[in-house]
Amino acid sequence: MKSEPRKDALAKITGKCRFLDDYSCENMLHGYLLYATIDCGKIVNISFPNDYDLAEFTIVQTADIPGENIVPEPVSDQPFLADKAVCHYGQVIMGIAHADLQTLKKFISAIEVEYEEEEAIIDVHSCLDDKANQSGECMHISHTDRNKEKTDNLKHIEDVFYTQHQEQAYLEPQGMLAEYLPQSSTMKITGTMQCPFFVKSAVQMIMGKAVKNVIVETSEGIGGAFGGKEDFPNLLAGITALLAYKSQQPVKIVLERSDDILITTKRHPSRVAIVSYTNMLTGKLQAVNIDYRLDAGAYLTLSPVVLARGILHAGGGYCLPRCEISGYMHKSNTPPNGAFRGFGAPQALFAIEAHLDNIGKIIGKSPLEMRLANILRLHDTMPSSQSMKEDHLYECLQKVIEISDYKNKRLEFEQYNQNNEIKKGIGLALALHGGGYTGNGEKVLQSKVKLRLEKNGEVQIFVANVEMGQGAHTTLAQMVNEELDIPLEKVNVQIPNTSLTPNSGPTVASRTIYIVGTLLQKLAAQIKKEINYESLEEYIRQHQQLFPQEFERSFIPDPEDSFDEKTNEGTAYHDFSWAACVLEIEYDPLQYKIKVKKCWNVLDIGRVINYNIALGQVYGGITQALGWALTEDIYKKGYPRSKGFTDYTLPTTEDMPEFQVEFIHTDSAIAKGLGEIPMDYPAPAVRNAFLQATGIMINDLPLSPERIMKAINRSTL
Amino acid sequence: MIELKFTLNNQPQTLQVPANMRLLEILRDQLHLTGTKEGCSVGECGACTVLMNKKAVCSCLMLACQVQNAEIETIEYAAEDEMLKTLQDSFLKTGAVQCGFCTPGMIMSAKALLLQTLQPSNDQIKKALEGNLCRCTGYVQIIEAVQLAAKTLAERA
Repeated sequence: MKSEPRKDALAKITGKCRFLDDYSCENMLHGYLLYATIDCGKIVNISFPNDYDLAEFTIVQTADIPGENIVPEPVSDQPFLADKAVCHYGQVIMGIAHADLQTLKKFISAIEVEYEEEEAIIDVHSCLDDKANQSGECMHISHTDRNKEKTDNLKHIEDVFYTQHQEQAYLEPQGMLAEYLPQSSTMKITGTMQCPFFVKSAVQMIMGKAVKNVIVETSEGIGGAFGGKEDFPNLLAGITALLAYKSQQPVKIVLERSDDILITTKRHPSRVAIVSYTNMLTGKLQAVNIDYRLDAGAYLTLSPVVLARGILHAGGGYCLPRCEISGYMHKSNTPPNGAFRGFGAPQALFAIEAHLDNIGKIIGKSPLEMRLANILRLHDTMPSSQSMKEDHLYECLQKVIEISDYKNKRLEFEQYNQNNEIKKGIGLALALHGGGYTGNGEKVLQSKVKLRLEKNGEVQIFVANVEMGQGAHTTLAQMVNEELDIPLEKVNVQIPNTSLTPNSGPTVASRTIYIVGTLLQKLAAQIKKEINYESLEEYIRQHQQLFPQEFERSFIPDPEDSFDEKTNEGTAYHDFSWAACVLEIEYDPLQYKIKVKKCWNVLDIGRVINYNIALGQVYGGITQALGWALTEDIYKKGYPRSKGFTDYTLPTTEDMPEFQVEFIHTDSAIAKGLGEIPMDYPAPAVRNAFLQATGIMINDLPLSPERIMKAINRSTL
Repeated sequence: MIELKFTLNNQPQTLQVPANMRLLEILRDQLHLTGTKEGCSVGECGACTVLMNKKAVCSCLMLACQVQNAEIETIEYAAEDEMLKTLQDSFLKTGAVQCGFCTPGMIMSAKALLLQTLQPSNDQIKKALEGNLCRCTGYVQIIEAVQLAAKTLAERA
């Protein structure tokens, strides 16, 4: 496995890489947002301060929108700007621009908005426990194996699991720069984003016919995203463009950290109720009913897509002979929840993995016995009726048990806990993650990629997928350089720009390497075959008149794949990545505090292209998951909600466990999805380790000292 | 407005700035040294870390008047500083860079540590970098980078 140094690293270690806030242009105004500071209600009056000259400011409200006041999303129900009503804290009411940032911020804080407040739903429980909050269409999967065995000795167990919001907490706050060029009627957008073509649609939507051309380019550096820069940039770009159009000057908006936390999208809180019937003798789950609910926030936006992935991962890595899975969206009065690494799967897997341990505890089976009795093996079927084409999940489990010395450790800890104040626990969790868009998504997207062979022998890659820290632009270049058999330094990925790069789809869903990279690899192979060269550089040198030359290729779906979007039956994902994790904790009952000590991971992500980058994805994903599992909570006490990293507690160097990561089947032909799967399994592994350490079943996240204390007080009453 | 005199990356500087202007703005907006990043503006994330008199500080918390006569070092100083250069090389080698937004601050904090000891323990590294948040890497390869830099510098010395 190679570990080529990242192409973007030099610019980043020297501080030369330009992030959005490092951009400026002549006559540039600073823009900012006036947003709602109530959760729900009507705007009665807005009064501007008297001691400012309003003519100095550019102000945009709904009346200034030449196009439609609708952010385009799978469900287009969110306005760019609120008109008379607001339905979440942080909902943008107007955009304002001025040449001086300090003056602008003082002016905005002096604007008084008078509201008529209405009752709001913020709390995850009040949102998800009440079916009256259901909104949008329900999704359903029903599956019965033909060969299901009949059995009497069944144990009926019910659990309800809750998970909270999670903030993406990319280190670079979101920002957008809009430049309007009246001569060519062009709106040029530069910004922090994962999906330039989504942003383009959003700007076209808000500008309507007022602007003929929209060009969207990403900033050179994007300081982390994790899904947080998937949907919100649509809204931010729309408002920035509107300000640039009205002022006829370039406008840059960079969010302050507190506002970025308060107004942008978060991970969907969830409520997952599982009812299962398990064979007491074998531990085999015979029938399972899963009711999976997501808090969409104030608007549905892309929640149906998260819901689809959620229900298709709800059965976990297990063969469930009879199962019914239903998915529902609920509305609340928080900012719309959106994309976040894992995209519905972490919530689903937390529930099924924890449920399995709960069953085991009740019927007297170890977590490993429960998994061995139920794990998906070759040719088993998933709830979508998709058949297993490999046995790699089982191999991951076997290997992680071996490298962690799981069986001995579990026994050892049981002994240890009898005589010690500090408790030790070891937890086990499995994960699967479908690569690329769900169901027919990739078929519809029809991603297109382009390669340009230059006269000087260099190769340029044109794709819409961004480098946001995940290493994609290095890994994609490696996939091309290896196939074309030319040095890596000759291959470079161009900064995504909607007027130059073909639409290879958004940078989401663990699809950049798996779908777009594979497409590039096939295109490179096709070029090598067509040109039939010994050395590409030599060939170009001798045939200068033929270059530069461009080559394109579009995604062709496997004709065998079919998926019914009504019944959710068929090939939900052409390939799954697999993982198994063992995690060791120490629990201090005096402080009600969990410390994660070690974490063993075995993953099948297919071919590993860049080992260092792959490792970085795993470490980073686990760390983010541990934050979600243990400390991160926006609405801890309802109010005041978190406004910064003092009360929204991210993992630091001091919280890190020792890691061991192994990849299996790294010689596979295909590189599968990697970005999200490390987010999927650590939370249930921690929770299950805590169950071993204490015998206490906590079904809610985060496992903060406050929650643990409450659970313990409840159980000893 | 005050007349601010200080040393920046080994060069004397004299500026006319408001006494309450933050060092971060002096660097980024007045001197156009954008290698120092603004992640939170309230000293919670460490992205804006610079060295002030050889100690790591959040430049978003330092006001102009506090910087008077101080010695300031930023990531841009790496062009001529052996220790910063070594740290940069190590970050490159271990794969410690992902999105890169925390990287300059992380490197400055690491230098502050290495100025105190060239043989830092794992715990000392974790302690020294605790105030620098990174959301991408899980810190593993960053800690490895600091270990590698310390080793390289110790061997050279």
